[in-house]
Amino acid sequence: MSADASDLSLVRRVQRGDKGAFDALVLKYQHKLVKLVMRYVRNPAEAEDIAQEAFIKAYRALPQFRGDSAFYTWLYRIAINTAKNAVVSRDRSPVEYDLDRNNNDESYDMQGRMKDSETPEGLVLTDEIRSTVNAAIDALPEDLRTAIVLRELEGLSYEEIAAAMDCPVGTVRSRIFRAREAIDRRLREVFEGGLGRAEELG
Amino acid sequence: MNEELDSQLSAMFDDELPPAECELLARRLSRDENLKARWGRYAIVGAVIRAERGVRLNAPLAGRVNAVLLAEPALAAHTAPRDLRRPRLHWWQPLAGAAVAAGVATLSIMWLRTQSLNADAPLVARTTPAASMSAVPAAAGPAASYVVPLPKPASVVVPSTELANYVVAHSMFSPPVARRNLLSAFMVSEPAAAGAEEPQSDAKAFAQ
Repeated sequence: MSADASDLSLVRRVQRGDKGAFDALVLKYQHKLVKLVMRYVRNPAEAEDIAQEAFIKAYRALPQFRGDSAFYTWLYRIAINTAKNAVVSRDRSPVEYDLDRNNNDESYDMQGRMKDSETPEGLVLTDEIRSTVNAAIDALPEDLRTAIVLRELEGLSYEEIAAAMDCPVGTVRSRIFRAREAIDRRLREVFEGGLGRAEELG
Repeated sequence: MNEELDSQLSAMFDDELPPAECELLARRLSRDENLKARWGRYAIVGAVIRAERGVRLNAPLAGRVNAVLLAEPALAAHTAPRDLRRPRLHWWQPLAGAAVAAGVATLSIMWLRTQSLNADAPLVARTTPAASMSAVPAAAGPAASYVVPLPKPASVVVPSTELANYVVAHSMFSPPVARRNLLSAFMVSEPAAAGAEEPQSDAKAFAQ
């Protein structure tokens, strides 16, 4: 399996003039990119602005992207440079943020930062999405939960997960798909039903 | 929604779909808004599992990027003319290039000849009468069986001292035959330049 084949197929479509394919790339990487930029700026809204700028720069530079490196690696570099430039131009010092900190500290720290800039509605909906996904993951059968967590949290390939779970690669693919579908069913109801629906669903 | 399609989408999201299938699904993904929304929710699931807590999961970032890009021309509009320009120029560009090169070469040769003749004009002025003096008695004589041929105007062009010095100084870069010809021509021209004392021999040397 060639790594980054899916990103590359989307990139090639964008290079041929298909803007919808770039939309898919933004949807896939927006959270990762905002998280990355938040190492340099204080609040999520500013991080989103910088991430937006990085995506637009990437789009404009895509004709020069030849696929020598993975798309995300390339995008990552653009985002880092954009964030550094933004920090310099606004004369702000970067936030020292230890990524290896445990989740509880991180949660406390970032929640504290979010209170400065986020609207209450935005926070509530974000929290609702998060609690919905977490509840859906908890409700998954053990084999599905293990497969999706190994994939998303540990970043293992299907082959590595197959080795870890002692099952065929096809089974891993099926388990991850079924896990996503189960979570997505809950999540779709949140997005389609609006605020307050998660509590009813949970 | 087709379950097989969703299964492919999930595998593509993880970069675990064969490239050939990726091509087909990427095409569909870029056009199908429902599929794209599902793709976006897969990204949210990943963000929650990774506890990306600083991130607004409902942020309209993709919509904002999309709105900005709507005002921009598609990338193919930038790249296509560049690709098309090359074959369009191919049919006439070599001909035009060759014509210009030939014209420049012709003008250069003509200019160099003119310059050479002008630079050696005093020398030619001294040698030509000598040569013509030698030819006149022969031509005027009755039934001359042998006439010393007049040197051609081009052949009376002899190298200047500066040119000879240049050739000697850079002798390592010039072929031996050219060097010998140039130097011998220069040496032969010396008596003529000094006063045209031996017009016959001078004329013979150039005739050879």
